[in-house]
Amino acid sequence: MSGKSRRDFLKKSALIGAGVAGFSTTTSKAAPKNILSEDRMGVLVDTTACVGCRNCEWACKDAHGLPAGNLESYEDRKILETKRRPDHTALTVVNEYPHGKNSNLPIDLKVQCMHCDHPACVSACIVGAFSKQENGSVIWDTDMCIGCRYCMAACPFQIPAFEYDKALNPLIMKCDFCFERTKEGKLPACVSICPVEALTYGPRTELIKIARSRIKRNPARYVDHIFGEYEVGGTSWMYLASKDFKELDFPNLGKNPAPGVSESIQHGIFAYFVPPVSLYALLGGIMWITKRRKELEEEGKI
Amino acid sequence: MKKILVLVVALILTVGIEAQQSPGKNHSKLNISCKTCHTCDVPTKDEPCLVACPRENIVTVYQKPEETPELIVIDQLSDRYESVHFSHKIHAQMSVMSGGCENCHHFNTSGPILKCNSCHETSRQRDDVSLPDLKGAYHRQCMDCHREWSHETGCNSCHTLKKNLTDTKRDNDKKKYTGKDHPPILEPAHISYQTNTDKGKLVTFYHDDHTKKFGISCVSCHKQENCTKCHDVNRESNDKLKTVSTKKTFEEQHKNCISCHKEDNCSSCHSSTKLEPFDHAKKTGWALSKYHINLSCAKCHGSKLPYKKVNKNCSSCHQGWNAETFKHSVTGLQLDEIHLELGCEDCHAENNFAKKPGCDGCHEDFNYPKQKPGKVVGK
Repeated sequence: MSGKSRRDFLKKSALIGAGVAGFSTTTSKAAPKNILSEDRMGVLVDTTACVGCRNCEWACKDAHGLPAGNLESYEDRKILETKRRPDHTALTVVNEYPHGKNSNLPIDLKVQCMHCDHPACVSACIVGAFSKQENGSVIWDTDMCIGCRYCMAACPFQIPAFEYDKALNPLIMKCDFCFERTKEGKLPACVSICPVEALTYGPRTELIKIARSRIKRNPARYVDHIFGEYEVGGTSWMYLASKDFKELDFPNLGKNPAPGVSESIQHGIFAYFVPPVSLYALLGGIMWITKRRKELEEEGKI
Repeated sequence: MKKILVLVVALILTVGIEAQQSPGKNHSKLNISCKTCHTCDVPTKDEPCLVACPRENIVTVYQKPEETPELIVIDQLSDRYESVHFSHKIHAQMSVMSGGCENCHHFNTSGPILKCNSCHETSRQRDDVSLPDLKGAYHRQCMDCHREWSHETGCNSCHTLKKNLTDTKRDNDKKKYTGKDHPPILEPAHISYQTNTDKGKLVTFYHDDHTKKFGISCVSCHKQENCTKCHDVNRESNDKLKTVSTKKTFEEQHKNCISCHKEDNCSSCHSSTKLEPFDHAKKTGWALSKYHINLSCAKCHGSKLPYKKVNKNCSSCHQGWNAETFKHSVTGLQLDEIHLELGCEDCHAENNFAKKPGCDGCHEDFNYPKQKPGKVVGK
């Protein structure tokens, strides 16, 4: 009995092993997925409409199986007195800033992954776990992730977080644009719950048009800037505000994609074997000089 | 049979909704460009070729707050929470001082007031996301003001969780606003401003003089007022000395006062000490008698602001008065038959009623008030 079951186990293991090997070869053959679809979706965050109710924080935790507590407990506004960053316990957070032009109301600002069009995390991930999907979301495959945390270092918005407090199987955590929900035709959890629809979900190109028309219709309400339209080559999440984005702790980023800089340096250095060739040439030169010097010394001695 | 009935009801409803959205028969005569709402040159009833919402530069309707619905039950979206009882009339009464009806009823056509859902869709998942959905639109309208003065964003100030709802609470919510007007506004008696002028640093503004004595309506000064002006939970007391911000220009700073106080000089308002409230006798040199004290300013000075100056002579207001029409007994003295036949100026020299009347025109040894030309009846 035991022998038979052992044989079965070995058979099964072999089959699974072969399957896994086959699967991994197929995935490793494919380069990191980096699709930039014309119809990719995005979210326009109108910070002039946001009231800072933090319902999005609750909905996000609820949708991602994180401990959320009850919704009423989010009414406490004391938490807004300190600035927070998204982490492994909260994939999105709302921060509050002093009022902008034309209003006495504070500015409330939801922070989460921007879902870049040219994501640095996808470029930095050495195992190709990260990918930009057709619907605009930047997601990662937990099974492939080896926990190197290069994505955290690469992100210009410092978004990916790591479960440092977990000894076993710690995971990279960040907003996944509710990839599972949108696949089922649902709205992202935060967009769905927002009482004032400060978060508008739609095709990115459409959102840019809407943002422009809002600025045009109400120039007193907004600064003439859509953050994320061009920043780091464009992002799926974009912001409108009544105040300069620098004052809202947005990093001052250029229009070039974030991976562009690192990739061009790396690729530039290693192109056409320049570094190895020049290194060997240098070493050869040193050898030649030392050898020549020795020869001269010996000649002088004689 | 049932199907037919449903169809008929649906038909009536759609017709009803369409009729509600029509801007009225004579709207073509209004002073608005047709292109504001219509895309084609000749819109017809069948093909109105209306532009999509929101329509720019549109006129809005005005309705007296008292004529508007008292209570509006917002129940279209209720799921987790019970429907909201919105005290419309009270809000309309406040809106008079803060931007009017169009503060909420934006982009309304010139006709009847449109329902919010004629532009704002009920579903968040929709093709046209250029406008907020109905839930977003409602919350923006309410919360933009409410969080400004309450500094809170909790749901429970407007909403009741369905599970917490009792029949008594439901009844109370409905009764709460029935027959109620916006309570009288707590006006400051006076406000002292600390200014940065060299002469007369202190400006004392007697608010109650302007509202109660002069009878100036709130809306003549407060047109685009912020909700926080009256409602802020952290509102500072008006008794405190207020420092005027120096960022404003002279014109901006004086805008509100100068529209009436055009002819006044600086010292009418600016002083080194606190100014006295308005006193008709001190300011104009003509004390208000008991007949005039209860009159509104407009009765003598005209309803237009600033009030026009009036001659001290009685006849400048009482033009119809002469010896025959004036009932002398209102002064406390009923003239006897002989004196009734005299003209006014026989006793009141040059028709100056402010001066003491004289008897010496006819009588040599008589004088007033020792000898009286009639019976004292008391005022």
